[in-house]
Amino acid sequence: MQRYMKKLYVTFIMLLAGAISLNAQNLTQLEGSFKTGPAIILIATLVTFVLVGIFFRAKDPADYYAAGRSISKVGSGMAIASNWMSAASVLGMAGMMYGFGYNGLAYVVGWTGGYVLLLILMAAQIRKYGKYTAPDFIGDRFYSRDLRIVSAVFTILISFAYCVGQFGGIGLMFKWILGLNYTWAVIIGSSVVLLYTLISGMIGATKNMQIQYVIIVVSFLIPVFIMAYKFDYFWLLPQIGYGAAVTDIVQGIPAPNISDGAALLNAYGHDLSIVPSPEFAMPWDPSTGTTFFQWVAICFSLMVGTAGLPHVIQRFYVVPKVTDARWSVVWGLFFICLVYWSAPAYATFGKLLSSNPEVGVLAKDAIVVYTAQLGGVNSLVVGLLAAGAISAAFSTVAGLLVAGASAFSHDLYVKVINPASTPKQQLRIARLGTVLMAVLVTIVALMKLGLIAQLVSVAFSMAACTIFPLFLLGIWWSGSNRAGAKAGLFAGILVTVISLTYFIVNLSGGALPGQAFISYWLNVWYFAWFGAPLAIAVNIVVSLLTKPTPLEIKKFLAEQVHN
Amino acid sequence: MESSDQYNFSIFTPRNLHGKKNRNVIFTMLAIWVVAVFGFQFLLRAIEKPTPEKALTIFETEWSGIASGNEDGADYRALLNSLLMVKGKLTVAASDRELLSEAISTVTFRMVPDSLRPLVMEKVAELEIMHADIAGLKGQLYMDLKFRIQDASKNLITILEPHTGYGATSLEASLLAASLKKDYPVSLMEPSLARLPDLMKLYLTHNQSVLTDTKFLGFPFHYFYTAVFLLVLFVVLCIAYNILIEWRLKNEGIVE
Repeated sequence: MQRYMKKLYVTFIMLLAGAISLNAQNLTQLEGSFKTGPAIILIATLVTFVLVGIFFRAKDPADYYAAGRSISKVGSGMAIASNWMSAASVLGMAGMMYGFGYNGLAYVVGWTGGYVLLLILMAAQIRKYGKYTAPDFIGDRFYSRDLRIVSAVFTILISFAYCVGQFGGIGLMFKWILGLNYTWAVIIGSSVVLLYTLISGMIGATKNMQIQYVIIVVSFLIPVFIMAYKFDYFWLLPQIGYGAAVTDIVQGIPAPNISDGAALLNAYGHDLSIVPSPEFAMPWDPSTGTTFFQWVAICFSLMVGTAGLPHVIQRFYVVPKVTDARWSVVWGLFFICLVYWSAPAYATFGKLLSSNPEVGVLAKDAIVVYTAQLGGVNSLVVGLLAAGAISAAFSTVAGLLVAGASAFSHDLYVKVINPASTPKQQLRIARLGTVLMAVLVTIVALMKLGLIAQLVSVAFSMAACTIFPLFLLGIWWSGSNRAGAKAGLFAGILVTVISLTYFIVNLSGGALPGQAFISYWLNVWYFAWFGAPLAIAVNIVVSLLTKPTPLEIKKFLAEQVHN
Repeated sequence: MESSDQYNFSIFTPRNLHGKKNRNVIFTMLAIWVVAVFGFQFLLRAIEKPTPEKALTIFETEWSGIASGNEDGADYRALLNSLLMVKGKLTVAASDRELLSEAISTVTFRMVPDSLRPLVMEKVAELEIMHADIAGLKGQLYMDLKFRIQDASKNLITILEPHTGYGATSLEASLLAASLKKDYPVSLMEPSLARLPDLMKLYLTHNQSVLTDTKFLGFPFHYFYTAVFLLVLFVVLCIAYNILIEWRLKNEGIVE
């Protein structure tokens, strides 16, 4: 296997070298043209993913769902990071900061702070409980087939909502590289990610995720170093160096901007100058249309949602030991932070480089690649950056499709519809579920319902209102019983449905009673600030009023999970 | 016989000493986490003050004179500069951008002598056509027109420089060239510009405090805290938790 892998990497490196030997075209047109170098890098990267998927393909359901529990803690940490860092992290987050200033930092903090919750409240306990999927745990802990079914359906819906943003990001990057229109770009991108997920399952995906993580980090960090060096900021640690650029934006930089006798220019030849723009950094600035409440609500919803996302929780079933579950969170968080420390730098340099009115209005979700282009970074490096962004979306989509397919086949088909099914049938159903989900996600992604980060945050709020309360109380309170779990889940679903309904009505141009009130206080991007605490409270109250948890469940929790 | 109650537990009422120590660690970590993340944001909120930019003060001074009927006596250079300070912001909404362009055009054409106005008008019209055309172009055609727009803008800036004071290399000049419109309100008092004072206030007032004005490693302090420090803190909290838990498990002889 290693021999094959070596050959594979040699091929990959040679393709890259071939691409580099081509004359790098001057990427001063930001959109609309076919970009040869970046296209070669993208194709080489995708071929690598598919080949890795083939070499490490799943052989049975255990492999497909949980990678045979054969992944080390650092490897699992890389897989967690890769699985986590989606198009929302690599593309969407910088776009939010570029467009909404300090409010965008709620996404940075929300998507990292949730890992603290995940570690201290869930990781080890989930591993000790010893199930394959989130619905497995819920069905078993609350001794309820109904809850298993509902949680399986919500696992699919959460994965679905999460995937929509990813497919949008894939579409944007394919569009940028290939010069295709958005529709074809989404269709081609989703076909490729579907192909390799079908071939590999999670074991291939886990190997791929490790490779994808390396590609994401390298491709994301190199342009930041280059731009910090080029524009005379502290480039040895640009994650700190861009701070001076933030201050420059706040105070303004007059043109011409000269450093050591040379003008600092963007790729169009405009000065690196900007009018004083405190709104970029000042908290909840009125001109960005954001408020303090929204900052807190988004941050809270994302944090709690992180600890309730089925495809993230599922990663802890993959590690061999309990201690590995804990350390894989630390490694995962550290690897994630490497990228998250750098994302604001893209927004900052993007702001400086696009301040000249001749640059025009830029799409927020593609600001990362636009920034590198406007910074005059070599087109092949920008191509690698785009390939990294696609890798991020691919790795997450693969994990999501596996989580969704697992819920469909393992939790619905095997446990409810056809318990006597053979492993072969189970695998076939898992693959059918993957295809169905990918097709439906593609259709919704083509509708362009919002920015990538916002679309993904819907999945977080859904997870926070439905899955998180069940895990939190299921693990930490033996008194939480079936009736309480059902009532709590109903409350969480109710808030979710209300928020989504008002969002859809608003999108279609209509208005329901209290439209403005609900659209602000239970907005679809952050309704979990209310829904999650409500679901927990309802679960507790109903549990206290109804028949207690059976002895065997309490005993199992006390002896196996909290021994 | 086993009783159901003997296995009762919650995070608040652990079953043994090990559980109690675990609970204390978890609550300590959670307290640090909550205070660090949300406590800081509440502090920011509590001490912030709406702070106007210098451009707003200048605008309001000039605008009060115009509103009291002294439009001809206004310092148009100062007024233009304050308008451009908002036009240059990337967060300005499209409709507000349009209104600002109209106001900028009104002010600029008041500064330009009558003899020069037809020439400026002609250049502005040329630029408007080119800006409309570029949206549908790709490749070399796109780049060619892009450079023609740059040249035309420079040309316009040079014509206006004696009256506006903006040299060809200044950012304000680029903003001005991109803002001028052929059709604009004749007077700043026209109803279509009535929203201007509120618009200026919206974009030129910011929530600031000692935490936002203090610099740390080049950053505004609050920005450093949220974008860099909190992430470091999360990693450190996770490492500390793992080390502590594993040290205790080892000390107590517990094998998971």
